[in-house]
Amino acid sequence: MSISTVAAADRLARLSTATGPAREALILAAFEDETASVREHAIRLATRYVEPQILGGLVADGVNAARRNGALAALERQGPYAVPYLAELLRSPDAELVMFALQILARVGDPKAAAGMLPLLRHGDPNVAQSAVEALGRLRSADAVPALLELLRGNLWLQLAAVTALGEIGDPAAAAPLLALVPDSFVAEQAVRSLQRLAAPESLDPLLSLLIRVHERPLRDAILEAVGVVLDLHPDPAAAAARFALESERDRGPEGVAAFLGELLRTFEAEAECLRELHGSAAAGAMVEREGLAQAAVAVILSGRVRSLYPLVLRRAGDSEAPWIEAQWHRHAQLGRPEIAALLSHRDPLVRRGILTAAVFESEDLANILARLEDPDTQVRAAACRALGRLGDGRAAPALIRQIREGTPEERAEAAAALGRLPIEALQELCLCLDPRAGDDTVVAALEAVRVAQASAFEADVLALARAPSAVIRLAALRAAAALPSTRAELALFRALGDRDECIQVEVLELLVERGGDRAGTTLTALLSAADSLRFRVIRALGRLRVAEAAPRLESLYREAALHERVEILRALAAIAPPGVADVLRTRLRSPEPEIRHVAASGLAEVAGPEDVPTLVAMAGDEDWAMRNEAARGLGRLGLPESRSTLLTLVRDVEPVVARTARGALAGLADGSGSAAA
Amino acid sequence: MTADEGECKLLSDVIQERFGLSFAGVRRDILLSRLRPRLTALRLPTLLDYYHFLRCHPDREAEFERLSCQLTNNETYFFREPHHFAIIAQHVVAALGDTLRTRPLRVLSAGCSSGEEPYSLAIALQDAGLELRGIRWEIDACDLNRDRIARAREGVYEGGSLRACDEEAVRRHFESQNGGRYRLRERYRKSVRFFEANLATPGGMIGSPPYDVVLCRNLLIYFDDAGFDRTIRLFARALAPGGWLFLGHSESLIDRSDEFVPTWLEGAMIYRKRLAEAAA
Repeated sequence: MSISTVAAADRLARLSTATGPAREALILAAFEDETASVREHAIRLATRYVEPQILGGLVADGVNAARRNGALAALERQGPYAVPYLAELLRSPDAELVMFALQILARVGDPKAAAGMLPLLRHGDPNVAQSAVEALGRLRSADAVPALLELLRGNLWLQLAAVTALGEIGDPAAAAPLLALVPDSFVAEQAVRSLQRLAAPESLDPLLSLLIRVHERPLRDAILEAVGVVLDLHPDPAAAAARFALESERDRGPEGVAAFLGELLRTFEAEAECLRELHGSAAAGAMVEREGLAQAAVAVILSGRVRSLYPLVLRRAGDSEAPWIEAQWHRHAQLGRPEIAALLSHRDPLVRRGILTAAVFESEDLANILARLEDPDTQVRAAACRALGRLGDGRAAPALIRQIREGTPEERAEAAAALGRLPIEALQELCLCLDPRAGDDTVVAALEAVRVAQASAFEADVLALARAPSAVIRLAALRAAAALPSTRAELALFRALGDRDECIQVEVLELLVERGGDRAGTTLTALLSAADSLRFRVIRALGRLRVAEAAPRLESLYREAALHERVEILRALAAIAPPGVADVLRTRLRSPEPEIRHVAASGLAEVAGPEDVPTLVAMAGDEDWAMRNEAARGLGRLGLPESRSTLLTLVRDVEPVVARTARGALAGLADGSGSAAA
Repeated sequence: MTADEGECKLLSDVIQERFGLSFAGVRRDILLSRLRPRLTALRLPTLLDYYHFLRCHPDREAEFERLSCQLTNNETYFFREPHHFAIIAQHVVAALGDTLRTRPLRVLSAGCSSGEEPYSLAIALQDAGLELRGIRWEIDACDLNRDRIARAREGVYEGGSLRACDEEAVRRHFESQNGGRYRLRERYRKSVRFFEANLATPGGMIGSPPYDVVLCRNLLIYFDDAGFDRTIRLFARALAPGGWLFLGHSESLIDRSDEFVPTWLEGAMIYRKRLAEAAA
């Protein structure tokens, strides 16, 4: 073993086991350790065991950067516990200390700290003033807005920080002053970003006007993105969009807005295509960054009636990566029937698929959509099935049933979903597809249509198919049966709990839970007698259904059950919450098995009453982080002020998960006291 | 699948304890995406359900097997980073000199997945004409996952595993099978010995040391600090003094181990175990 690795392991062990006065010195010295994992552990321990005043002393030490960084990280992690001390530091004569205090307070995010920051906006040291601006922005302090607006006329750095902070705070009073900074100022782009965050309706007109006038990228991109957000949140953008449509018509040059938007969409499409080729399905994540701009471009094209670009928009409608196009189309696009018909027979199949996916059709469009079921492109045919489902006109049923029998797998699935949306009386011919001789794929698709339609008229067929030799058909039939309200359908599900295929048993259990009802509870409780591989799932199902009558049986089963079943029994009991459940859970907190203790603690966190606070406080001192985490969760759920001191200890927990849970709990205390100062 | 922070930590702790693999911090999303198929297969709705399954269910051992495959399911292929094989065939063999007249070159491929790496080395050594010079070799290869070891022994691959091989190499080293699959020729298959091993198991030895070379590429990135250090110590014990350790290009021992000396060879960073007297 090497010297360095032995020493690092040793130092970690020494840190973890140190107690008493030596511990603090050891922790602080470890801030300077050469090994990152030792430094990280020291920060965790400092968060828990070193008081903010001591850590503040290290922050003030301008010479030792390693100790300073460790102390800053620990103070930030102490969060609410350190807030009173950090608020005091704001009055320190040491400008650097004040600056660090501002930065940590901003990251801790306690809004009560804002009052002490306001005077610092006029601090003589510009670094302190800038930190105060940034902190107030991060805390979203509305009280800071007047002073921040004044800073828009001051020092450039403070101006930039103030512009950003105003965007973070989100007060619409800032919209006009921010618009005044666009396009002719150094902070124009940031001002547009802040206007985007404000999303003030009154900024729509001026931003649309800027979109036409400003040709320089990236400012034009920023304006477009802002317009997209404002349009999205605007209660009635029609008037502003109509003015934009008129104004943009006059600007048809190569730098005009239509050319700009068209180029953007073409670029996005090409980029998406490249990414798909390079990364396959993982490309979706890579596109997210630019998606905001694409959405904005589409919103402007549709609301501003830039009709020449509609085909370009529709090419991506129906893409799983751009589901938002449909919503944009519904909100902004207004087309007459001849225009829709023209797009339905567009030469580009992607456009045909797009209009079938995005448009809202009426009965008069039926013939045009049915014609698309004969389209040479399978994606267009599948989209036509979807459109027929949305239209809901029963006259489409024969064509969709034909698609179920003869279509590709994608068309079959879409046709089944569409049939499910048609009036039930239109589905009579579907019985031809419910004959096992029609083939598994056809029968399964027809059963899916019955499920979506909840068509009781086919109940006899469904129940017969629930006993079919093919597991695929049985499963599809049982899914359809679960959607039917009758007792016979429910009995078929109960019978299927004994299906020879275990996958079907498990699925049926899920179906019964989703379906609910008293009989399901009784039947599942009866199944507890069978000690088979399904029983732990049955126990879980009883918990999810909150079957009160099952509680005594679950309690009596506990002693004889295997570990995985006992875990589920405790979870189920906590969900059912019968009288006395807290006693049961408290007893299990002393179990030698950690899994049982965890589940008991988790259950207690859910059901605890005020009388359980001492138990939760004791759990907060457990060696096992999962127990402390449940203690924080339980105390947070109760929200009682007497939990504050325990939660203030837990917010400094060495395990960050526990600290975060405790911080959330502390923020929700009944007396509103989020910090140690309260 | 819900992704409660506490549930994620419970699961990542179990995985770390069992396999030494760390999915803390930014790796959480990787963990979630790799667990999703297992939750779907077991029809368990939440991470907590899966955690309880791993901790308590009678079938947990079989599930750990499947999980290991899922967690370290890193795509590999024949002749990935082929310069390492050239360095072994030329520099390592030359450095060992006359000792290879009396014993074989001994190599361990740790985390060998379905065998592409050790078989690539076997092909490279064969192609380098070592046999004609009277030099023999023994390649041991281990992986955490039983199914992958079985696939490695079978030596049958999809076309994707051969994407770095040209037509001539495919023809020479593989027999074409039905369904676009290829079987590695017998002479390469018999030159590698596969076995199951969990590198995270504390203490002990791995394979049949001492080895002249250990290859462990693109696996240590998934280990936490303690697991990384423990594995490096395992390799140090498995290597003969002066032996060579090959890591992936994003893995480094700089400032992490005094037992190895970094060495630049043919543009690659290789780590040599110190000679016994230097380490003492």
